[in-house]
Amino acid sequence: MRTKILATALAAAAALTLSACGGSADGGKGDNAAAEVKGGQKSGQAIVLDQAKAKPDIVLTDTDGKKYDLLKETKGRPTLLFFGYTHCPDVCPLTMSNVGIAVKKLPKAEREKLRVVFVSTDPARDTPKRMRSWLDAQGGTDFVGLTGDFNTIEAAARPLGIYIEKPKKEKDGSITVSHGAEVIGFSPKDDKGHWIYTTEASADRYAKDLPKIIEGRNP
Amino acid sequence: MRATGPGIRKAAAVVLTFGLSAALAACGSDDGGGDGGDHKAAPKLSVSGAYVSQPPLDDMAAGYLTVRNAGGGADKLTSVTTPLASEVTLHTTEGTRMKQVSSLDVPADGRVQLTSGGDHLMLTNLTHRPKVGEKVSFTLHFATSDPIEIKVPVEPTTYRPKD
Repeated sequence: MRTKILATALAAAAALTLSACGGSADGGKGDNAAAEVKGGQKSGQAIVLDQAKAKPDIVLTDTDGKKYDLLKETKGRPTLLFFGYTHCPDVCPLTMSNVGIAVKKLPKAEREKLRVVFVSTDPARDTPKRMRSWLDAQGGTDFVGLTGDFNTIEAAARPLGIYIEKPKKEKDGSITVSHGAEVIGFSPKDDKGHWIYTTEASADRYAKDLPKIIEGRNP
Repeated sequence: MRATGPGIRKAAAVVLTFGLSAALAACGSDDGGGDGGDHKAAPKLSVSGAYVSQPPLDDMAAGYLTVRNAGGGADKLTSVTTPLASEVTLHTTEGTRMKQVSSLDVPADGRVQLTSGGDHLMLTNLTHRPKVGEKVSFTLHFATSDPIEIKVPVEPTTYRPKD
């Protein structure tokens, strides 16, 4: 199972890499998620997808304990989507804090347009209250935190190329967790995901790019 | 985790001091560490670049550091203890999967580097939320070498060391 998921992820990564080398395919079928990669992970630049990804059609629970319909609530709004969990000491706070710092630098009007949505990949432990504290502590007082059924969340993440698994207890008692570390940017123009940021993206990178993303332009 | 005697701090300080000079020598050319070369197969460890990133909440944090081994013998980082946390676990990251391990190899004439997104220390059951500017004391325990005690700064959550 694990190997299979990993293999899929590897294949997807390979596809990304390969298509970056070749020329663009003659725009036929579109069932192969060919992505043109501009900019590298090292620099933290946005990866611009040439085949935009649909925003997940999910209804989850926000940090007020209310239903949150992602499509409805973020329709026509620039949106950053991040799958992570609060018991993640490493890349999750790094990513969220970078976004938090960048968003604070935006003019108020732009900030109000933007939606930053954090979706828990560990809903068993991420209570709405805990997520709120976690987001607030990182400058994300107006960030949306969502939790819900794990399978729903996993199914929403998969088409975006983000493979998550339930935290798993190993035989020796240790816990293995996996999470996507990418932030996906959705355009206000078509509500589709066009940009992917890896953990290499710094606060400065986001600060530079967000004004463009808010206008639906390639950063 | 080795039994620790009263003289351990001193020993650690000696190791640390020696380690630092070894590290410095390593920055220059590679022929440095010839001096105390009586035990060829012994590891000679030094620790650098350690930091804890300020966590968003008060229950867990991550720690990062590099252990260099200028000696001809391999060692293993087996545990880390700190007054900040009642539990510190070692983790590796493979792809996007984070997995707890019982030790991290410190190869002979090599190093193990704990970095964000890679291998790291996970500190749980914290006594308090560490803040930027604070120094945290870490004791690193090894399979072969004596423990090494270091003071570790708390850096902003978004801190990334320049290498």
